[in-house]
Amino acid sequence: MEATRQIYWNIGHGVVIPMYILAFAAVGVMLWGFRQRLPIWRQGKPLDRFDRYDERVKRMITEVFSQVKIYRVTDGGLFHSLFFWSFLLLFAGTMLVMIQADFFTPLLQVNLLSGEFYKAFSLVLDLAGILALLMLAGFFIRRFVIQPKGLEIVKDDYIVLQLLFAILITGFLIEGARMAATELQQNPALALFSPGGLLAGQLFTALTPDALLVTHKILWWLHFVLVLGFFCAIPYTKLRHIFTTSANAFLAPFEAKGSIATINLEDESAVQFGAATISDLSWKDIFDADACTSCKRCQDRCPAHTTDKPLSPMKIVKQIGELAESNPAGSLVETVSQDALWSCTTCRACQDVCPANIEHVNKILEMRRNLTLMEGAFPGDEVRTAVSNIEVNGNPFGLAYAARGDWSDGLPLTVMEQDSDVDILYFVGCYASFDKRNQAVARNFIKVCAAAGVKVGILGKEEKCCGEPVRKLGNEYLYQMTAAENIEVIKAYNVKKIVTTCPHCFNTLARDYKDLGLDIPVEHYSTYINTLLNSEKLTLTPEPFNFTYHDSCYLGRYMDIIEQPRAILSRAGGSITEMDKSRYDSFCCSAGGGRIMAEEKMGSKISEARIRMATETGAPLLVSNCPFCLTMFEDGIKTGGAEEVLRVRDLAEIVAERIAVTQ
Amino acid sequence: MKLLVCIKQVPDLESRFKPDAAGVWYNETDLAFRMNEYDEYAVEQAVQLREKLGEGTELTVLSIGPDRVVEAIKKALAMGCDNAVHIQDTAVSAKDPWQISSIISTYVQGKGFDLIFTGMQSQDRGSAQVGVTVAEQLGFACTTTIVGFDYADGTVTAKRELEGGIKGVVKLKTPALVTCQLGLNVPRYPTLPNIMKAKRKEITVIPVADLLTADLLATTTSFHPPAKKGGGIVLEGDVGELVDKVIAILKDKTAVLR
Amino acid sequence: MKTLLIGEYREGKLLDSTYELFGFAAQLGADTAMLLVGSDAQLPAYGGTLYLADASVCGEYSPDLHKQLILEAVQKENPDYIVFVHSSYGWDLAPRVAASLKVAQVSEIVGLVDGGFEVGCCNAKMRRTVKPASGRGVLTIQAGAYPVLQPGGSPAVQKITAAGGGSLEFVGYEAAEKKDVDLGKAEIIVSAGRGIGKKDNVPVILALAKALGGELGASRPVVDAGWVEHSHQVGTTGQTVSPKLYVACGISGAIQHLAGMKKSDFIIAINKDKDAPIGEIADVLVVADVMQFVPALTAKVAR
Repeated sequence: MEATRQIYWNIGHGVVIPMYILAFAAVGVMLWGFRQRLPIWRQGKPLDRFDRYDERVKRMITEVFSQVKIYRVTDGGLFHSLFFWSFLLLFAGTMLVMIQADFFTPLLQVNLLSGEFYKAFSLVLDLAGILALLMLAGFFIRRFVIQPKGLEIVKDDYIVLQLLFAILITGFLIEGARMAATELQQNPALALFSPGGLLAGQLFTALTPDALLVTHKILWWLHFVLVLGFFCAIPYTKLRHIFTTSANAFLAPFEAKGSIATINLEDESAVQFGAATISDLSWKDIFDADACTSCKRCQDRCPAHTTDKPLSPMKIVKQIGELAESNPAGSLVETVSQDALWSCTTCRACQDVCPANIEHVNKILEMRRNLTLMEGAFPGDEVRTAVSNIEVNGNPFGLAYAARGDWSDGLPLTVMEQDSDVDILYFVGCYASFDKRNQAVARNFIKVCAAAGVKVGILGKEEKCCGEPVRKLGNEYLYQMTAAENIEVIKAYNVKKIVTTCPHCFNTLARDYKDLGLDIPVEHYSTYINTLLNSEKLTLTPEPFNFTYHDSCYLGRYMDIIEQPRAILSRAGGSITEMDKSRYDSFCCSAGGGRIMAEEKMGSKISEARIRMATETGAPLLVSNCPFCLTMFEDGIKTGGAEEVLRVRDLAEIVAERIAVTQ
Repeated sequence: MKLLVCIKQVPDLESRFKPDAAGVWYNETDLAFRMNEYDEYAVEQAVQLREKLGEGTELTVLSIGPDRVVEAIKKALAMGCDNAVHIQDTAVSAKDPWQISSIISTYVQGKGFDLIFTGMQSQDRGSAQVGVTVAEQLGFACTTTIVGFDYADGTVTAKRELEGGIKGVVKLKTPALVTCQLGLNVPRYPTLPNIMKAKRKEITVIPVADLLTADLLATTTSFHPPAKKGGGIVLEGDVGELVDKVIAILKDKTAVLR
Repeated sequence: MKTLLIGEYREGKLLDSTYELFGFAAQLGADTAMLLVGSDAQLPAYGGTLYLADASVCGEYSPDLHKQLILEAVQKENPDYIVFVHSSYGWDLAPRVAASLKVAQVSEIVGLVDGGFEVGCCNAKMRRTVKPASGRGVLTIQAGAYPVLQPGGSPAVQKITAAGGGSLEFVGYEAAEKKDVDLGKAEIIVSAGRGIGKKDNVPVILALAKALGGELGASRPVVDAGWVEHSHQVGTTGQTVSPKLYVACGISGAIQHLAGMKKSDFIIAINKDKDAPIGEIADVLVVADVMQFVPALTAKVAR
């Protein structure tokens, strides 16, 4: 017998026109639902996310269909990806049936859905349907039985899961009913290619042929109505993410990670700085709430949230959406709470893992800008003192600026004021200049450069804080003031290249300073040393050691510098035992976002949590390459009682003591 | 009501001080400058009063010194003063408190100021004289070292900080001058809109020669680090060794450890 | 050389600081007369001329009246120097007298040096030598800088009085907050200063205090920042102490603090700054990071 099926069997072709009319109506309702969201999104400021159109489309198609960001986290992610592909296949299959029925058959008299193709088609779709049902069961068990911590259950979840379940089940039931009437006995060999339908068909064998026909019709219309309902429900339920989350893959920024809007301080007409209400945010910030599916991956990875601080990146995203809908004049800071806002370390773990391309960090920064610039607020008096110190002496410690270069006395480098003909300008940063523990890093870096024959210059007392911590706290004014002074001095010396040992200075000078007029190559010393090693300007005599490595947020997630430090440490003789949370999943040391200047008053200590992760690897040594991380880990080892089992050192120290002695 | 707050720009006290060429004051190279900490409290209190009194109140900030003091003046403007007077003087450090006071009194005379705020002393010279002397020269009521301030209908009620944590409550009628102690209030951090407004506020510049009428009453003949007192020992080195040394000293020189 | 010393009297008592004036006059080698607005029930143990005004009539704090009384005494005595203690009474009154007489004032004297007066400046990090141009003037001496000296005897009292209200109305005193710690009685005090870094580090200092069997003290900035309660504050606006052992942790040595503890028998200071002013009065200055040294010392002491 022919391998095919009669489309619209038992339903009749008369259904076609009403079907299309209703389908268009449902799509119309769906579009109308989204259209109603437009004024809500439009409450935010304009933002152009439609440039480089082709690239955006390509990115969206790639991300959505590959589901790569979804299955990055297998818990829930695996189920979703499989469900998505299955559902996609079913959708494509249904479209194919529609094209066949309304185009190929009447116009071309060609039946694609026949023979071997039809067998493959039916088999694939049935398997897809079964897989989709299994994945749905998985969703259900995960959400309602296992109940992962922090996963909120809302009315939507009941509606959506039941709707999807009903659609899939009725699909199989229809197939089963049809096969019971036309295939099970008549073409059992063909029936094997529709295993789902074959199974479902067993339910109908007891029915009389007439009852079967009626049942089939009812099921068909039921399925059709459910699908119409599905389309109508999209904009009003979590199902909206099909479009909004996909759209976010289109709308995601092209700017370098960590880019922050530089406020134009010359604009005399500006009255509001930072975000006080939702109209101070961009439309994209409000749209992000619609793209969010409350998957809580950001929250799970937030170092503040996991140590019991009142910050949840997901909650903030949702709160912005809620305000936009129900209380647009409401105060953002009061809704979100100051404690939550100040707790953020800008580690970017939330944004990095978010499968919906939501931009969490800059929302927090804009709200902080409002707090700092419009209200003069600080997370604590100790922060205010540190900021004051930066204003007066260019460093948070309040130490005399004239002593900034004193750490370098007697070392093989020059101060630019005396001799500016150098290979690189070493931008030292506040910690390496003034903090005893970090001065050792600076000295070792100089030792490495000297061994590689690199002539290093420093600004000494002409160097000021790069401004990063104050910028992240929201003080754009002080940041721009101190940055401008640094840029003026650097430009005056005609510097060709800058290297820094601090990832925060690195990010700020390499990326943020571009907006303020500095555009010269800036490198972090980990990639710089890697290059020196690769070009053999520097050689190491490896000495074995066991260690674990901490990827600083501002190197790894922000700048994708993950392998180079590992390569260096390997060359130095190191054997690494990776922490669970490493590379892009690295767990913040707690000092980012300006929090290096603040006391940690709530919850448990983030640095101790990270030290525990390090000790769990069994390695006796923790290596990092950031002055904030080094400081927090020395602290965390002491307060966490790990002094006997773990030591922390900087990459520069390890490299410096393995420099090959030349003949 | 017309209010005045007098501020001084001083070097940041973390700096290392070296005598200048004449050996009578500090060398200004490599020093970072900031508003005298006591004056921050004075500015904040003046601004709070200005905000409370509202329409019809004018708060002026005054400072004497070279161009660098404009930065401190701008901070006071950003905190909320309405306008400023910069008495241009490149040799301000050579003047004694009597001259400084006379310059201020000469400026204030006849302008109708009701209330003057100053810090109780400066962090560099620290003679604690200018505020009271200005009041004497002008015939204003005056009290010092206030840690509490209230004003209503021409009367100031102030709390003076006395030794041992006791406070003395006084009332004085305007025109009056008060000198402010640390902890009087919490000086505000200027908001950006206020910093930007401050850029447009008027700073009147007056050369000091126009106001200087007094001669020096006291001269500084030397500025030097204190003589190291003998007998005290300085211990440096590895923490473990230091601990042992200190324990040995405690056993030897005090009855604390056995 | 003649001096007119202005005594201190508060809440019905002659203050001990009055006798520091005699200590100063002795170092100056000057003759003395004294003026006191106080009570004849609280006369200083001194055998010279005492211009006495009744505090119950002229007020304990009434600068206009007190200034008038002093000017009257100045007329009679014609001293070279009028000397006050640099206290909340002295620094308030001295400039008024100096301005009225149009003479120089030298504030907070800590020493005498070839014809001039040595005063502190730049947060006690440096010193200045100041000379009144006319060889006459108003002087204030740093509280605690000069030894308490009781000349002994009974004064020849000359009663003086002034009338009028003055431009100030003294309403009354407000008691200090209840002290739950009487540092004045403590034999060992370990104090925390700003150099300890943050509030969380206070327990480390407290641990050393306990290990040594002493009390916790604090400098003013630490109390202002809310890290320690006011009752532990050592200094002019806190408590003046003279324990057998005083350990200053991360305290730079601002004058106000020094004044409160410089009479301690043995002073150990821990500070990362070798040049911190506290080093001048410390018997031992340990140059180290407070948060590294103190726990190590506590651990060894506890054993």
